Amino acid sequence: MAEDSAGPDDDTLREAIARRLAGGLETEVWPRAESSEMVSEIIARLRSEATGDLGRKLVIAGFTDHTVEANGLEQPCETCMYYLVHRRFCELPELMLPVEAGWSCRLWRI
Amino acid sequence: MANLLWLQGGACSGNTMSFLNAEEPSACDLVTDFGINVLWQPSLGLELGEDVKAILKKCISGEIPLDIFVFEGTVIDAPNGTGEWNRFCGRPMREWVKELSEAAQFVVAIGDCATWGGIPATAPNPSDSKGLQFLKREKGGALGAGFTSKAGLPVINIPGCPAHPDWVTQILVAVATGRAGDLTLDEFQRPKTFFSSFTQTGCTRNMHFAYKVSSTAFGQRKGCLFYDLGCRGPMTHSPCNRILWNRVSSKTRAGMPCLGCTEPEFPFFDLAPGTVFKTQTMMGVPKDLPAGVDKKGYVKLTAAAKGAAPAWAEEDIFVV
Repeated sequence: MAEDSAGPDDDTLREAIARRLAGGLETEVWPRAESSEMVSEIIARLRSEATGDLGRKLVIAGFTDHTVEANGLEQPCETCMYYLVHRRFCELPELMLPVEAGWSCRLWRI
Repeated sequence: MANLLWLQGGACSGNTMSFLNAEEPSACDLVTDFGINVLWQPSLGLELGEDVKAILKKCISGEIPLDIFVFEGTVIDAPNGTGEWNRFCGRPMREWVKELSEAAQFVVAIGDCATWGGIPATAPNPSDSKGLQFLKREKGGALGAGFTSKAGLPVINIPGCPAHPDWVTQILVAVATGRAGDLTLDEFQRPKTFFSSFTQTGCTRNMHFAYKVSSTAFGQRKGCLFYDLGCRGPMTHSPCNRILWNRVSSKTRAGMPCLGCTEPEFPFFDLAPGTVFKTQTMMGVPKDLPAGVDKKGYVKLTAAAKGAAPAWAEEDIFVV
């Protein structure tokens, strides 16, 4: 599975991710990346621990298959700056994953 | 004929290099077409040592009428308030600066260092550097908050790291040809003709800004550099995308974030690790929002704009 590339495999991979999340994969939903320093720490972990490892990416980034609200803001993928609306894809270089608009992760940023 | 004297304090000479690249008008045009007599300039002056000193003394005494005094670089006060770390022609540069500023009809600060301290004044500011009339946002600087030159104007600040060459030559021409009265200055004494609009004004990435599509790497043609790569274009007053660099481009057009170098806080966040080329966020929202936009409005606008983004806005189209 070419999880870091875009294209016809997106739908298949998205479904696979959805199954993992629905199956109870425990991810690091909290704490959210509230400051730039926390963002940098999580990004550094993605680079060192999760390259090419879909499961670790989902865990470290704190993916959920529903929208999480934090600090009074809903944080769905669809409003995140890394989300490509038409491709339904997260373009954060350390993730590069097909996602759903209503999912969420703790690296959300607007 | 207008006599111009140009000195450098705590500087890298970058503004002199920029000035020599001016095109509209060029540095040569200043002399041949606009009657500017360059008494001395660090990279152009022929005199050395005592001969330079003699020019400076004649300017101060009034024997040579000094119409325009240009200063590039910081005024250095270290060590211990003596200014001895920057000596020039036999004494601290800051003493020349004060006396020449009092003798001049107009005083023009070129570049961030001379305007508000720039990189040398970054904390902990070991050289005790300041600009001519500002230290960062604080008014005062080397000449004091109340300083005005003989013509009645405060220091005319042309910031930038470096300043665009044509900003420099066009302001010098305005002053030399008796049109200084046409200049209006903003709260930081920058000519409004250049510093009222934003770096973002004229940016070729504005459509990506509008639809909230982000660049994720330097040099990408797709996306806006504000959202992730620390671009300060929406908050920075400069005409960098109206008066192009080398007539062809700008930082943002080349895929490089604006560093906000025409603002007093430059370099931002005191260059702390992780702050350069990275948009600083708090709870997922940029700490510094486009000028005049509040957090609530930004969040609403972003959600709406992203939902309305057309497919082409997410593609790597040719935008230069």
